[in-house]
Amino acid sequence: MTTLTRAPEFSLPSTTGDAVRLAGLHERGPALLLFVSEECPTCSLTLRRLAPVVPELTAAGVRVASVFEDPLEVAARVARRTAFAGVVLSEPSPYETSRAYGLESLPTSVLIDRDGREAGRVVGWDAAGLRTLLSVPVTDEPPLRKPGCAAKNTYDPDELRLLDGAGYDELEEMFERGWTDGLPVIPPTVQRVEAMLGGRDPSRLLGEMAPAMARVTLERVAACAVLAGCRPEYFPVVVAAVEAVLEPAFNVGGQAVTTQPCGQVLVVNGPVRDAIGLNGSVGALGPGWRANMTIGRALRLVVSLTGGGYPGRLDRSTLGNPGKVAMCFAEDEEVSPWEPLHASRGFSESSSVVTVIGADAPLSISDHRSTGPEELARVLGEAAAATWSPNWWPLGGVSLFVICPEHARSFSEWGWSKERVREEMFSTVVRSAGSLRWGEATPLVNAAPDDQHVRKWDSPDDIVIVVAGGEAGRYSAVFGPCLGMNTEPISKEVQWNT
Amino acid sequence: MEYVSPFDERRRSTEPLAPRPVDLIGARVALLDITKRRGDEFLDRIEELLHARGAETFRVVKEIFSKPASPEIVRRIADRGDLAVEGLAD
Repeated sequence: MTTLTRAPEFSLPSTTGDAVRLAGLHERGPALLLFVSEECPTCSLTLRRLAPVVPELTAAGVRVASVFEDPLEVAARVARRTAFAGVVLSEPSPYETSRAYGLESLPTSVLIDRDGREAGRVVGWDAAGLRTLLSVPVTDEPPLRKPGCAAKNTYDPDELRLLDGAGYDELEEMFERGWTDGLPVIPPTVQRVEAMLGGRDPSRLLGEMAPAMARVTLERVAACAVLAGCRPEYFPVVVAAVEAVLEPAFNVGGQAVTTQPCGQVLVVNGPVRDAIGLNGSVGALGPGWRANMTIGRALRLVVSLTGGGYPGRLDRSTLGNPGKVAMCFAEDEEVSPWEPLHASRGFSESSSVVTVIGADAPLSISDHRSTGPEELARVLGEAAAATWSPNWWPLGGVSLFVICPEHARSFSEWGWSKERVREEMFSTVVRSAGSLRWGEATPLVNAAPDDQHVRKWDSPDDIVIVVAGGEAGRYSAVFGPCLGMNTEPISKEVQWNT
Repeated sequence: MEYVSPFDERRRSTEPLAPRPVDLIGARVALLDITKRRGDEFLDRIEELLHARGAETFRVVKEIFSKPASPEIVRRIADRGDLAVEGLAD
């Protein structure tokens, strides 16, 4: 009769965050330990080939655990790559457990019975040996046998130092986790997230966000801000933007999943702009400025990661739009001849405010020839005539116009206020119902007599104007609307001390 | 390396499906019109088919398709109906 030896006890960290003891693995039935390491190709092959039988073993009452001679993040990465669904444990240097098990090479598969005794082991990839050990149909695809690599507990210390961390790339890890919008991100380490929070309560709940109905805590927003590349001083602006989109009247959940291309545009006003270097001048709509790009991106990561509106999954946007990556800019209040946006929306000019607007991609409007304010206002307004659809009148939503400094200065020299410009756009962008009754026309147009005048907007209030852009060039822009969402622009004061 | 997840990692249990009815005779079926274009046409046809199978129907209309149904709408469906049919998308 064979006498089974007691398997050495261990307590090792797992990828679920808990320490796992051997006794816990075999308390209800046998346990299979797969000792592996990241650098060993035969280990990957073994994990990949055993992955399909893990559910069967689990159903039969066998706990399957991989024990990596690697740091935890490396173990998690290899488990994901190999689709290994069992328990994932890490035993980094000095490899006391693998030494206690007398491992000379990896992979080594060790079966432990319910009483904690070693019932058998297979070294290397050995299909027939594993079939016998496990009593499950292990693949008979070649190679049927393959030797492994030396276990790290057998290495001398100098070799180990050279290997430490080799093959691990933290930035690639972020892609593998899916914590990205497709661009590289800054890994949200505990230290970086703490720095982003700046002593604020990480558990503070800002609200629930659809479609995931996720609890949006300050800590998760901070994680997104780190991922996006924000500096900690940008964080109050990110938080205000998240608070704005969480207002029910903004309907971020609808915007996150719609087939429309809409993204979320952030306009920032007030002293915080200068304090954090948020650009409202040349190239304001991007790229080129860290605060602009990363604040806009942080909000989008909250919507797509935390909120669950990830492109191609629950975000079903037919085409998407670059503004869904990041769209944040400052109004150039110092150059503007007019009252800034936040003041028009009831905030004091000395306050710092984020205004969030659900919107399509910007359309550039060139005008270097208009000789009067009526003409220029009409050019700008008519550019919006085809937004959403050429025949969708009235829009029933908001158009955001970004007026460049040269256009704004012309209006100012002609003595026109912002309200006068809006009134002119509203009243001159008009069509007869008959001319609009083709393609996608509105119910209003379909019901109206041919000669009834229809405007592009329901009211001048649906025309939002801000001033931004470089000092040279007569290029303004209009952001098309986000319709069907009952969304409205939302402004939130930035809780930031000047 | 330890990272802070941007996700809400709470595990949610799967809601079990309600028992399927054996037949529709006398069943009270809520027809939820979410106001997507032509959803009402779809529900008109469904209503004909349900009536032909002996079901009673009643309409409930959401304020707008892009927002979750209000608790009031859900309550009206649950209070009056045995079953519900929702017309989704265009």
